[in-house]
Amino acid sequence: MSQTPDNRATLEWPAKYNEVPKEVFERADLWPIELEKIFYGEEWHPVVHQSEIPNIGDYKASDLGEIPIFAVRGEDNKIRIFQNSCTHRGTTLVTESLGNKTEFECPYHRWLFSPEGELVGCPNSREFTPDFDKKNFSLPTFRTEEFCGLYFITMSDTVAPLKEYLGEDFYEPLSRILGGDGRLKFAGYQKVHYDCNWKAYCDNDGYHAPLLHLAFKMLNWQGGKGVQNVTENGHLSFESELKIPDDITALEDASILDFKGTETSTGSIVQMQFPLTVYSKHMDMLNIRYAFPKGPKGIEVHYAYFTHEDDDDEMIAHRIRQSSNLLGPCGLISMEDASIFSRIDKGNKTPGMAIFQKGVKDEYQLDLQVGQNDESGNLPRWEHYRKLMGFKRAES
Amino acid sequence: MSEIEPNVIFSIENLNRDYICALDKLDMNKWLACFNKQGTYTLISNENETNGFPIAFMLDDKYERLQDRVTQVTVIQEDSTEHYQTRHMTQLTSIENLGNNRYQANFNFSVFYTQNLVETTEILCVGRYEDIVLIENGASFLQRKAVIDTNVLPRYMAYPV
Repeated sequence: MSQTPDNRATLEWPAKYNEVPKEVFERADLWPIELEKIFYGEEWHPVVHQSEIPNIGDYKASDLGEIPIFAVRGEDNKIRIFQNSCTHRGTTLVTESLGNKTEFECPYHRWLFSPEGELVGCPNSREFTPDFDKKNFSLPTFRTEEFCGLYFITMSDTVAPLKEYLGEDFYEPLSRILGGDGRLKFAGYQKVHYDCNWKAYCDNDGYHAPLLHLAFKMLNWQGGKGVQNVTENGHLSFESELKIPDDITALEDASILDFKGTETSTGSIVQMQFPLTVYSKHMDMLNIRYAFPKGPKGIEVHYAYFTHEDDDDEMIAHRIRQSSNLLGPCGLISMEDASIFSRIDKGNKTPGMAIFQKGVKDEYQLDLQVGQNDESGNLPRWEHYRKLMGFKRAES
Repeated sequence: MSEIEPNVIFSIENLNRDYICALDKLDMNKWLACFNKQGTYTLISNENETNGFPIAFMLDDKYERLQDRVTQVTVIQEDSTEHYQTRHMTQLTSIENLGNNRYQANFNFSVFYTQNLVETTEILCVGRYEDIVLIENGASFLQRKAVIDTNVLPRYMAYPV
């Protein structure tokens, strides 16, 4: 393990842009820096879609890095995101992942907060410090922006506004995953723990899809034409046509693969927002994968699924059926991804480099032009990571 | 449960035993044989069930889906799965007569798993079965619904529970 003169963990990055040191997945001493530079740094993180907490007082708890947070819909119908911590001595205010409360009371000394985050009661306050003022003890919130009903937060005062940060090539397809107008209805979660470093979870690429996922081959499912767009700050966006054959003999009930479609849902879209959120729309499944690293080892992924407010009963039933069986930690076309995460994690304990090949034209140059099935689209995100972490690239 | 005939209890216990033994031996055809031709299988988190969210981990809402579950496990994903040995522990908690030879039966269950090559044993999930059993020429599931308290799976799940 190496450290900088100020005792900060570091590692030397190879000169070639298509090489990633395997130790980056394994070293526990990188985690505190990742928290500071990435999760608490110049990035936006999605927290909740408005449809997950549709009623006044509905709340959802989660984490930003290691900071517990919760989103709540106030009496004024506005969604706010707070630190999940009493402003007195720090006790968490909500302990359930989802719920509904008209007020948030800390059980320790009965300090009471409104859904708008104001301190509305604190017993024996006459005996507090002379200049105590309840107004100074509201719940801390975050810089927050909303896009198609999805709420993002950042701890940075300086990062660009959300749409500028995502870029048009990213937020335009995202708007279609979010139903075009954000008028979604929440349908439920699939939650799972994967036994790997968070960076292995989000290092999936365009190269693997037709090769790893045997379901595609067995179902005679050829990938349609498509594009992969990447940004300098590490976001990836895949979009492709859907070509599902009419005659699927491997399944008794091929209706599970029907693509009913709507005017806003042409094709298949997969997006990876730096550092680790995935959005996807395959066939009629609308999916956000919120992900929560559990320190340097292990990641919890919450697959959230949606229907659209305009869906009829048949479309709702179809989306539910498809979402429950095709994606996620038990899914017909995606379970293999999960098996790769833990195998990559084990394999990366070997020394040396993970080496990207598909689509790499020049090992010593970063290229933002990548093909649909290239793995080189992951290299800008690795370069973004390297820069944020302050790791020096070796001379070529 | 007092008004339920002993032979009904025996039939339901036997069906459940066939079911969990099939899974612990990963004999998916024997798993399928526990279901009626009108049978369904659901695996859902307690969080979704309690909040009325319909998304499940597995949702086999007709017999053809059950058949495709067998294909998924035995053919499509056979070589990419990190296989694991399960042990199902079950406890019958209630039976109610629904009439027409149908019975609502509930079991508590816990499933342990031992991953090949890792060999330590962990809990895969804990929950309850909400079953509708038809007793006609033997017993079969019209519905087996596994509701798991384990809202966050400890790993991806390759087989039904």
